[in-house]
Amino acid sequence: MSTDYSCLEQIDKNPGNLIKGLQTIQAEHSYIADEAIVATANYFSMAVVEVEGVVSFYAQFKRTQPGKFQICVCDGTACHIKGSTLMLDWISTELKIADGETDADGFFSLETAACLGCCSLAPVMSVNGKVFGNLDRKATLKILKEYRKK
Amino acid sequence: MANITVTIDGKQLSAAPGETILKIARDAGIQIPTLCHNEKISRTTSCFVCVVKDIKSGRFLPSCSACPADGGEYESSSAEVSDMRRSALDLLLSEHNGDCEAPCTIACPAHADVEAYVRAGRDGDFLKSLQIIKTRIPLPMSIGRVCPRFCEVDCRKNITAGEGGAVCINDFKRLAADLHYEEYMEELPELNGKKVAIIGAGPAGLGTAYYLRMQGFASVIYEKMPKPGGMLRYGIPEYRLPKDILDKELNHFNKLGIEILCNQELGKDVTLDELKKDFDAVAITVGCWKPSSMRTEGEELAAPGIEWLEKIARNGWKGKNPGRTIVVGGGNTAMDCLRTSVRLGSDNVQCFYRRTEKEMPAEDIEILEAKEEGVIFNFLTAPVSLRQGENGLILTCRKMELGEPDASGRRRPVPIEGSDYEVEADTVIAAIGQKTAIPDATIPANRWGDVEADKISQQVNDNIFAAGDCISGAATVVEGVAGAFRVANSIAAYLADIDPTTVHADPINVSRGHWRNMAIDDLVFLRNDISDEPRVEFDFLPPAERKHTMDEVSRTLTKENMMKEGERCIECSCTSRDECKLKEHSESYGAKPDAIKGEKIKAGYDNRHPSIIHDRMKCIKCGICVKICKEVVNENLLSIKQRGFSAKVEAAFGQPLPDSCSECGECIEKCPVGALDWKIKK
Amino acid sequence: MSNRIKKIKVGMASCGIAAGADELYKILEANGNGIPLEEVGCIGHCYAEPLIEVETDAGSIFYSVTDTKQATIDNIFNLGEASRFGISEIRAAKENVKITRLCGRISPTDIDEYIANGGYEALQKAQAMSSAEVIDEVKISGLRGRGGGGFPTGMKWGFMASKEADEKIIICNADEGDPGAFMDRSVMESVPHQLIEGMLIAAYATGSNKLFIYCRAEYPLAIKNLKIAIDQAYERKLNVINGKPLEIIIKEGAGAFVCGEETALIASLEGKRGMPRFRPPFPTDKGWNDFPSMINNVETFANVPVILAEGGAEYAKIGTEGSKGTKLFALAGDLENPGLIEVPMGITLAEIVFDIGGADRDSVKAVQTGGPSGGCIPVELFDTPVDYDSLKSLGAIMGSGGMIVIGQNRCMVETARYFLDFTHRESCGKCTFCRVGTKRMFETLERITAGAGEIADINFLEDMGTKVRSGSLCGLGQTAPNPVLATLCYFKDEYLSHIENRQCEALECPALVDVEIKQDKCIKCKLCIKNCPVNAVSDDFVIDNTLCTRCNSCIEVCPKDTIFRCKKGDGYYSG
Repeated sequence: MSTDYSCLEQIDKNPGNLIKGLQTIQAEHSYIADEAIVATANYFSMAVVEVEGVVSFYAQFKRTQPGKFQICVCDGTACHIKGSTLMLDWISTELKIADGETDADGFFSLETAACLGCCSLAPVMSVNGKVFGNLDRKATLKILKEYRKK
Repeated sequence: MANITVTIDGKQLSAAPGETILKIARDAGIQIPTLCHNEKISRTTSCFVCVVKDIKSGRFLPSCSACPADGGEYESSSAEVSDMRRSALDLLLSEHNGDCEAPCTIACPAHADVEAYVRAGRDGDFLKSLQIIKTRIPLPMSIGRVCPRFCEVDCRKNITAGEGGAVCINDFKRLAADLHYEEYMEELPELNGKKVAIIGAGPAGLGTAYYLRMQGFASVIYEKMPKPGGMLRYGIPEYRLPKDILDKELNHFNKLGIEILCNQELGKDVTLDELKKDFDAVAITVGCWKPSSMRTEGEELAAPGIEWLEKIARNGWKGKNPGRTIVVGGGNTAMDCLRTSVRLGSDNVQCFYRRTEKEMPAEDIEILEAKEEGVIFNFLTAPVSLRQGENGLILTCRKMELGEPDASGRRRPVPIEGSDYEVEADTVIAAIGQKTAIPDATIPANRWGDVEADKISQQVNDNIFAAGDCISGAATVVEGVAGAFRVANSIAAYLADIDPTTVHADPINVSRGHWRNMAIDDLVFLRNDISDEPRVEFDFLPPAERKHTMDEVSRTLTKENMMKEGERCIECSCTSRDECKLKEHSESYGAKPDAIKGEKIKAGYDNRHPSIIHDRMKCIKCGICVKICKEVVNENLLSIKQRGFSAKVEAAFGQPLPDSCSECGECIEKCPVGALDWKIKK
Repeated sequence: MSNRIKKIKVGMASCGIAAGADELYKILEANGNGIPLEEVGCIGHCYAEPLIEVETDAGSIFYSVTDTKQATIDNIFNLGEASRFGISEIRAAKENVKITRLCGRISPTDIDEYIANGGYEALQKAQAMSSAEVIDEVKISGLRGRGGGGFPTGMKWGFMASKEADEKIIICNADEGDPGAFMDRSVMESVPHQLIEGMLIAAYATGSNKLFIYCRAEYPLAIKNLKIAIDQAYERKLNVINGKPLEIIIKEGAGAFVCGEETALIASLEGKRGMPRFRPPFPTDKGWNDFPSMINNVETFANVPVILAEGGAEYAKIGTEGSKGTKLFALAGDLENPGLIEVPMGITLAEIVFDIGGADRDSVKAVQTGGPSGGCIPVELFDTPVDYDSLKSLGAIMGSGGMIVIGQNRCMVETARYFLDFTHRESCGKCTFCRVGTKRMFETLERITAGAGEIADINFLEDMGTKVRSGSLCGLGQTAPNPVLATLCYFKDEYLSHIENRQCEALECPALVDVEIKQDKCIKCKLCIKNCPVNAVSDDFVIDNTLCTRCNSCIEVCPKDTIFRCKKGDGYYSG
């Protein structure tokens, strides 16, 4: 079974667009599988190993299927001094997954970001891109509970 | 364009514009170390080992990439630049997760290239094996029998095969020597006319003579006993080292033209003053022959172990039945006395030792064999006094218990009040250690009573040097020859007007660690056909038989068995330890593997390719291989993956190099550290 | 109702949305009886989000709408007094809002509104001048690179203008990677046209023909608004310079801090791993695909229309000798009013932190400027004027404008550890000193904060810090040791306390604190017992510090605030 990577075809074949190609694949397939790397390499006429080198360099690219809800705890400076480490700990304890992991049923995945740029609302986290600010333990756990219902 | 003028280390140089500082310096004969630089590929600028200081701006520049401005001034050899380079190397060493040398070689006091002689044996070439052995072990027949096997204690096979499952290394020496000793002959250099006097024909003296001869020095050994060999002849019993074997081994020294004068005692038959004048240098290798005191009342009634053994040795390892025998002490000499007593016909032989079996300094195999031969061990028992009774000697003993650890780290035995009891015996032997008897008043003693010599050069004073037990205290034969190697190099340097403290290589050694702190997954297997068979079994005389004979207890193992045993060796050392630029530069800049602590590279290794090993844990991420493959070979099979400390070089999807790799070897040849290398060790 | 509501503007930059502005927008829409609503960007007062501006015949009224109860909504439509928002007088006096003048005041996606407010006039003005005159104007303004380096912008433009090539590239560095900085996000989300205008002026002045905006992918709203703005600019043919249409291309970064470095950014634009290279050659000689390329950051470009509009000389009236104009700062941390501010160069740290930020004078310990590349400046030195050179002399840097206020209750060793955690993970891994040196420094700080430090560690940090600085190719490595060296300079006693006394005075490092319940105030509600993930709270309300992981869950849930962190050793241990 091969996955459809025709989403690449809207992009010019110039290797300078490699990152854009990978971003397009990730937007479509939520992560970059080995065969996506092969398809991308073929598309841009590049060596597979070189594409893989690029994928592994950038934090944005995921190599495994993330959860349905991707929780991202901001660990920017403002959030950090407002207790983002504790927040990560609470979420981690609640969902029983560590930073970078996806839970067994593929529902939640947890990661940290260098900064979500909402420092004035620190500490913040995002779930599938939606940002929640001024979080304390109660608010954090409440958000998780609401997503769990979905 | 007109040339520019650049000053490097005060030298004014003319250079074409656009040339790098490195190129300009090298053209002018100024050596700058590099790791990531390679002429064939585009600039990398990653290692920062090539830094120079721009005097005008005060900045450090990577000389491999920086092109100087006209009139630029740079320094490459200042303390500051060296410090910067050393730090870069320290950092690279701190993450470098490999083994320069194999743990066996590091453990071997003589630093024998164990892996190489085991490998030669594995291939059935025991002559080659012997040749490798003899570069560090000049007495392989003897050491192949009596060595306590430091190498095997540290062997990583103890992980995969369980403790005690080390490769049976010492028996390679024994077999190689037994098979080829008589036919083997070194290539000898011409004598250079210089002559050294050596006092004592024990392992250290013989070894010194050997290594001196290998460097063109003649020597004369003065031996006070009737025959050469020292402890090998007069201390180690016949059943462990048959004297006809020893004679065979020592005969080789005649072939080398080494003169051994027996019955010549220093201070009696010959004086140090004479020797100092008559010879270019003197090596004192008199060993430790003075028994230590028990410090108990009636001690004079006991026979000192070493003297007791000597008497029997002089008698051709014969003697009368010592009757009920008590040996006090827990070292190898004590074991020798116990087991010799058994062989002389005693059926009541007991050992008294003041600590427990765990603390006993004797080799485990000796203790085991003594037990098999019926020796009774009394642990935590110390002698208090000895007196003559009506039916023999009466030894009063006291029970002990272990207290706090002492300076040696062993728990100190503490007497239990009121636990004294008496034992009757016909013979009491005190084997509790020995000291050096310094043969001349002009030779200084250290605080332990041994000869005081410089730790590095083993020089005593003027043209006098020393080696072996007489400077270290009683030790093993292999340590004796290790000291001989060192002192011979010192003497050779001294006689060439070179400071003898400067000629001893101090190689750095990166290590993955001791096997006790490692798991199987931490091991790196160069080959995937390493044998999982259990360790070869020794071939012993059965205990019942050996109790009544001085015949050698163990027999030499067969060639077939030892070839198979060789298949078990993991070959832990680095394939490119002789070409490693990281090692080379670290040694010249004084960088050390333990200078900076921290996590090592955990990127794993790949031995799946039939002929290439890729050990990513040694990789310094210079990327030369990636660029060589892409820019020179036009294949593009490798890439750096991840980033930061986790960065690593891999082929696609972590697979081995694909079939499209033509094995051109460019990446291997250019790898500065052997992270990519051929699997076959030279 | 004499005062008619003309329009309601809802601040819907990322910070506003995170605070609930999108929900508020819907409610206002449903309740507004057709009153026009407009999505605008951020006016910088993030602490008051969600913020709305109600435009009336008699001027604007701002509301800070922190809940969506009917009464609150009704109050807005009735122009009631409750929850009105006003800028404090002291802040208004200290700020000088020029570059962000239109931020949050106009719709980011409405080019007409931008033009109506003077937008693209500067571009027109520039095109009426010679390109050399434009560069002179920028030189006269004294503008220095706002990305952190502080290189004189006019000089860079001059270099670029002198290059002859088939293609010349202008790159906007919008990869705002400093954790704790959001100036560029705010500008791109709120006034994307201002950035585009600045870039087009630069293209005209330097004779460039291709424009890239390298924006981090974490800023989806900024990218969206920029795309709309570019399309609008194309439509109006504003991108036609000297008769040729210029291409403006947005490239999304993919999450690598090191790509803030010029040569790494270019590698990334070329689709490669973002690894920096040795300079020279500089990008203006050999940049994107080997063409001359000039990189400025978002804020720098956003300054350009202002300079052209008012003239370089006028612009240079603000600021200090070496640092001209105004600077944006993202103010966050331990203070009342976090948000985006714009202040004249030369303002003191005290004025920013206390007067504008509203921080409590007694509770501030330090301020961190320049993010992970910068340093901590202690409160004793808050009289320092904020300009490139003064900050550098203190071991900090201006940086791109992140400014984090650090309270007395924060541990400076932990702060240094935090920054090194970031930088060592973001190192591209090329230079030995950066790849391994920052890792070793981080490990050392981990040991110290875990209570296993040694005095020798301090010497190591100082020695290695200096070497990492001088032994790295790019800005990431060259500045990574700054937070450590600066804290070692100003807060060495905290390091010594961790090492010698095994105590964290700020009670922040988990390994060096205990947790206890003040029994006299405890109401025995058992919330702490229920919420403890490791069952460390006994039935009689004693916390067993042998089990406790210092997760703060109990402290957070305690309704009476009777649970505290205390000095290591003061808490109860079962074993």
